[in-house]
Amino acid sequence: MKYIGLSRQIWNNNIKSVVLLILFPIVILGLVWLFVFLMQPLNDYRIERANQLFIMSVPWVVAGVGLWFVIAWFSHTGMIERATGSAPLSRKENKRIYNLVENLCISVGMPMPKVNVINDDSLNAFASGISTNTFTVSLSRGIIEKLNDEELESVIAHELTHIRNRDVRLLIVSIIFVGIFAFLTEALVRTVRFSGGGSGRKDGRAVAVALMLAAVGYFLSSIFRFAISRQREYMADAGSATMTKNPLALASALEKISVDSQIEAVRRNDIAQMFIDNPQDKKVRPVSFSIGALFMTHPPIEKRIALLRQF
Amino acid sequence: MFYALLIIIAVLALLAVSLYNRLVRLRNNRENAFADIDVQLKQRLDLIPQLVEAVKAYMKHESTVLTDITKARASAIEAKGIDEKIAADGKLSSALQGLRVAVEAYPDLKASTNFIQLQEEISDIENKLAAARRFFNSATKELNNAVETFPSNLLAGMFGFKRETMYDLAESRAQAEETPKLNF
Repeated sequence: MKYIGLSRQIWNNNIKSVVLLILFPIVILGLVWLFVFLMQPLNDYRIERANQLFIMSVPWVVAGVGLWFVIAWFSHTGMIERATGSAPLSRKENKRIYNLVENLCISVGMPMPKVNVINDDSLNAFASGISTNTFTVSLSRGIIEKLNDEELESVIAHELTHIRNRDVRLLIVSIIFVGIFAFLTEALVRTVRFSGGGSGRKDGRAVAVALMLAAVGYFLSSIFRFAISRQREYMADAGSATMTKNPLALASALEKISVDSQIEAVRRNDIAQMFIDNPQDKKVRPVSFSIGALFMTHPPIEKRIALLRQF
Repeated sequence: MFYALLIIIAVLALLAVSLYNRLVRLRNNRENAFADIDVQLKQRLDLIPQLVEAVKAYMKHESTVLTDITKARASAIEAKGIDEKIAADGKLSSALQGLRVAVEAYPDLKASTNFIQLQEEISDIENKLAAARRFFNSATKELNNAVETFPSNLLAGMFGFKRETMYDLAESRAQAEETPKLNF
């Protein structure tokens, strides 16, 4: 595997991202239609009736998804901070980190993001946020202590590239979409479990069909999400190399990170994929290589290091 | 036929407008980038009197180094416009470099906490300056590329966009290397 030009890679990925983001609502609406269609009795007017019902339900579906989206959009910062146990770092506490972040930002002319510290000894970092006010780079205490200045600079540059490319915003959007399917599936599972057969065959069938479709949606959207995030890691690595002019520093930082990147507090998969390395990928891999690869949020770290070495 | 011609003219006009806007955007970018540099330059200028004071007490014999710095600072304050400021900053940098060499002969000065702290602050600013310079140079390169490549070079010529200078360290570094004049 060789590097293609950076600007072309950015262009490719931007196109893909837009396509994926358009696909999410289409998948939701497609599944709604399928649900209405399957619920119709078998006769000649099946498709027409289904279309009618579908058109009636579209505003409700769109409004519901929109409402979910707005709530998640405004409250994600706090949710992520809670899930990772990170807290803001003040300039006085750690001048070294501030200088590294600030100098990198000045050198590409971007406004400086907030800096957070994750209180954990292992080595990891992530970027989050959706706008200039909320963009944040979070570093674990372990990564601050165990990497030298050059390595830490390259890691910060990797995260800043995620912010500059607006990867973080896209990732959060996709996490929100996947969350919708996850919520629907879970809600339906509970309905089935607690309603206990009860009110007639039609209801039972409705729930079963809805459950199946929600599962399909969850599966599809998960695959989208993984496709988004893996591409972007290579791009952020390349961006870091151009910002620091020192790809080897990132390679050696990744080597150190790969030894212990598990942030103990973070159990949730959707948060874990935001980090510079996702250790949960490694647990998936042995089961089956192809399926594992499909569900990995990050490319294997050895591959990233090899690419950086030939940069 | 007439409409086809009209459409072609409209498309060309739109293209010209977007190219012109791009040139303006790039020129503004470069000026913004210089504003970042200017902030750091001002901070460094503000620190220099303190530095001179701190050094004076120890360095009795090398007033030329200090007057060089004071003079360079005065002309840097006077400097107007991007090119002048770049030149003045080059002189000041080489004067400071001269001080750094001269300080080597004064272990007491090197050990004084006041001096160490000032030195740290200045090198902090100089790191930021280097970062700002990188951004400025890449903005300048982008502008120069647009000014010199087809088709935007046609509009650039018409509206007075020209190739701008990079923030080059080569000159000031060359000066810095010949500066150390130690009078013992």
